[in-house]
Amino acid sequence: MFVQLTDAQLGKLFPAYLLLDKNFRLAGSGPSIRKLLPGLQIGHAFDDYFDVISNDVATVCDIQERPDHPIEIASKCGNLRLHGLAGQQPDGYFLALRHVTTSQYLASQQLELTDFGYADPEIQAIMLIAVQRAMLEEAQDTALELAYERQRYSALLERTSRVSGYLAHDFNNLLSIISLNTERLARAPSADGKIANLTQIIGDTAARGSEISQSLMALSHQSSETLSALSIDDIITENSAFLKTVVGSKVGLSMTLHSGSCKAVLSYNGLLNCIINLLINAREAMPDGGHISVATTVRDGLANKTDDPPESSPCKYIAIEIADTGSGMNEALLSRAFEPLFSSKPNGTGLGLASVREYAVEMGGDVWLESTPGEGTRVFLHFPIALDAMMCPDDPSVEDASVDAVPNERSILLVEDEPYALEALVEMLEMEGYFVTPCLSAAQALEALAKRSYRLLLSDIVMPQQDGAELASKACIAQPGIRVILMSGYVPETAALQPGWMFMRKPLASSELLGLIDKLM
Amino acid sequence: MYGMIHRGIRSMVQDKLGEDAWFALEQKIGIGPTELLTGMVYDDTMTIAIISEAAARLNLTTSESLFEFGRYWIEYASRGSLASAMDLTGHDLVSFISNLDRLHLSVGMAMPGSRLPNFNVVLSEPGFLKVEYHSQRTGLENFVSGLFYGLIERFGLIGEVAIADSATCNAVFEIRYKDGHA
Repeated sequence: MFVQLTDAQLGKLFPAYLLLDKNFRLAGSGPSIRKLLPGLQIGHAFDDYFDVISNDVATVCDIQERPDHPIEIASKCGNLRLHGLAGQQPDGYFLALRHVTTSQYLASQQLELTDFGYADPEIQAIMLIAVQRAMLEEAQDTALELAYERQRYSALLERTSRVSGYLAHDFNNLLSIISLNTERLARAPSADGKIANLTQIIGDTAARGSEISQSLMALSHQSSETLSALSIDDIITENSAFLKTVVGSKVGLSMTLHSGSCKAVLSYNGLLNCIINLLINAREAMPDGGHISVATTVRDGLANKTDDPPESSPCKYIAIEIADTGSGMNEALLSRAFEPLFSSKPNGTGLGLASVREYAVEMGGDVWLESTPGEGTRVFLHFPIALDAMMCPDDPSVEDASVDAVPNERSILLVEDEPYALEALVEMLEMEGYFVTPCLSAAQALEALAKRSYRLLLSDIVMPQQDGAELASKACIAQPGIRVILMSGYVPETAALQPGWMFMRKPLASSELLGLIDKLM
Repeated sequence: MYGMIHRGIRSMVQDKLGEDAWFALEQKIGIGPTELLTGMVYDDTMTIAIISEAAARLNLTTSESLFEFGRYWIEYASRGSLASAMDLTGHDLVSFISNLDRLHLSVGMAMPGSRLPNFNVVLSEPGFLKVEYHSQRTGLENFVSGLFYGLIERFGLIGEVAIADSATCNAVFEIRYKDGHA
């Protein structure tokens, strides 16, 4: 094949070509060679300017002997390195050469695209890599920016949540003062119908305000549930119809409830959610139907799993056992069952059992599983019985002989840093026949605790200097038999509430508070 | 256009007016980090919206802003991640503009879906270049003028860029230049 090209076209295709005559003298060169070796002169011997690597020019140009053997040459000055093929033409040789493309060489010779043939795939690949590296670098920067943005957003959300919590606290405190004092007003004997009507309006408006504060609480991820002593049997019985719909028509549900009137300190909806979660898991383990049994009993012993090392003193507890006849779990699944976000189900969230455990531990109890593949799974939930739980742990090392050891059955140590709320609460409790020691701070309350024994500590949580949870811990050490009810419109994360303590959310409803106190005294 | 261009506009606004100005621009036109993804191809209307908002803040017309951004883009690309690709494209004004299509060939392979222009040097004389520009996009001639001006500055030259002829999807640019150190 014979193709005729102009010098310009040849220069575009092979910018680093060399033309030699039959005596291996330079007869021409491409534009890249002329640019990079400006001193190169036509007519001079090839060997004056170049070395052929591992060979000599006559041998590599011997087309008959070496028709497709590659040639590699290096310039004697300028450090050019070129490679390609030699071809014969009527009056000499054509060396179709190109620069080597190592990145070091490219940088040292300051080469550009024009030094490579227009159709050179290698330089195109190098260019593509350069562009892709640039994109990769920018993509890494973008990823960092997105991560930073996400972090910033989370921090903002957390701040918003915290501010909402503080707002809810202040708002609930004010509402509590309004509600309690409105109730005082309502109790006051008055023949004036207008005052009674205004009292009603204020009370209703405070109740609406309470709904707004619930929204703020939701934004700050605060639970607004009251913790009180509840009968687990009652909760299950009250919801038995609903629980039957949860398990569905293909699954039989039997209930054997024997914990009777024993109570545990719980939140009503929290326990119900736990049972629903466990029933849903059981139902899903039996897609073709089966049976679930729910049983409650009262037991003595450790509230924790029996094969765990004993960490707590023996006490009475209510045991809930939920057993199914489903597929069961192997050891591997069982060991990860409570892991958050782990699920063996295709669409499972992995949050069900994790939230059950979180709730159980929060209430001072425990949960564990026993399972046999092909036979079914049993879930055990244990909660300390309320009277035991409400009694603070005995610590003889801090007994104080100067304190009256037997508390008056109706004595209440009341701590509230809002004077108007304190005044209203004192009046309400005294009207109910309780002996109340009012305190405006935790420090005052500790002084009172040092002087005499109390049956109940009723304290606000968020207070300056020392919060109610800290005060309750000290009170339990000083007077192990004391019951604790904490109240607040907002529970900061730093306030560690102990299992067995009761909790009431502000704004307080008098009847609910009096009912709770009545059960404890 | 692709996200790399948006990142360039952001850099220009931040350099000239500060980070808060870009934050305000983002708020005004409702964009964020997801509109700055390097390899993403975005609708031109979004790019023009960003340029227009930047123009208002820089007290420029949209055409002036496009020119300024073209000029800035060369500097931004030269000092950023595209530096090695820019170096390989050319070491002088004529080589660089002559090799723009080869650079864009690689950009097009790396960013599928991008619509890249063509440049053809139709006349090259000492101190003068005539370049034909073809693009599927319209309204970017001032941006291209800015790019050529940025290249004049990149190679230490002084000069001017004029649009000699402009039609839909086509334009002819005349570039006059001389050594900036002379």
